[in-house]
Amino acid sequence: MEQSSTSALLQGTVLDLASDVVSALRSGDHVRAGSTLTGGGAGEGVARAAVRVLGADTLLPSVLLRVPPEPAQLAVFKDAVAAHPPRDDAAPTVVWSHWAMTRALRRTERALGGPLADEPGTEPDARWLDDASWQFLTHQLAVLAPLALPGEECAVTRVARARPVDVARGFVRAVRRRDWQQAAGAGRWLTLLDGVPDTLGLEAGLDFVRLMGGSDPRVALQLEAARLMPAGVLL
Amino acid sequence: MPSKDKVLEEVTRTENIDIDAVLDPAEPDGVFRDSRECAALALQSGGTNLLLSPPTPRPKKG
Repeated sequence: MEQSSTSALLQGTVLDLASDVVSALRSGDHVRAGSTLTGGGAGEGVARAAVRVLGADTLLPSVLLRVPPEPAQLAVFKDAVAAHPPRDDAAPTVVWSHWAMTRALRRTERALGGPLADEPGTEPDARWLDDASWQFLTHQLAVLAPLALPGEECAVTRVARARPVDVARGFVRAVRRRDWQQAAGAGRWLTLLDGVPDTLGLEAGLDFVRLMGGSDPRVALQLEAARLMPAGVLL
Repeated sequence: MPSKDKVLEEVTRTENIDIDAVLDPAEPDGVFRDSRECAALALQSGGTNLLLSPPTPRPKKG
């Protein structure tokens, strides 16, 4: 009972946080980006956990639009990185999402001209994707959508770049399965990849995902990121 | 200053959160779109032929 109420609370906080980021991406308003974290609605531990779940995308407005984050928001982000390191036996997506957060933190602090966070640890490997089927690859890439950024260079982005057709197939599959979150995440990756077949109709596909699943802030966040990608903001 | 009970409740909540499970989610079961939605997409996508074919028929179980 305790577990389920906690999960619901966490899920609700993640959705609120994602809504904040969507608002900020649409309006460029950094205050909105952090209002869930600075408003005192969720407890500190839950807010930290929610930031860890949303991951590096919590700072997406800062990265894509160069809007400085609220100091309180940045502090919670730092706390989340420190409080939730991956365990030794953690799944690759858990390790990579943490790595992405440390990278986003360093990038943001560099832009602010303040003291830099520690260098992200050694880049994890992407061997678990070596022989991945296109279905599994797309699912994993969608989970790691915060890594889909213009100019990002890491092992996961290299895998994605090598398999644009497979990601396109995965996007179609996700749409047909009504898995809007996966479709939006895969769509975000596709906006960055060369060699995506024109016959995919990515733009129409993303419009359709917005129509069907855009009421979920996590889906909307990926779609907003996809919309801003072609602008090619350099990191 | 938060009360002791409130802090305790917060700590308990945080300890109960299994973040790894959220960060490494299994793929949910898929539900294929029906033909009305295919038609809506056809209207929306104009000349392209994205996702227009209905799902491949599958043999019935049993």
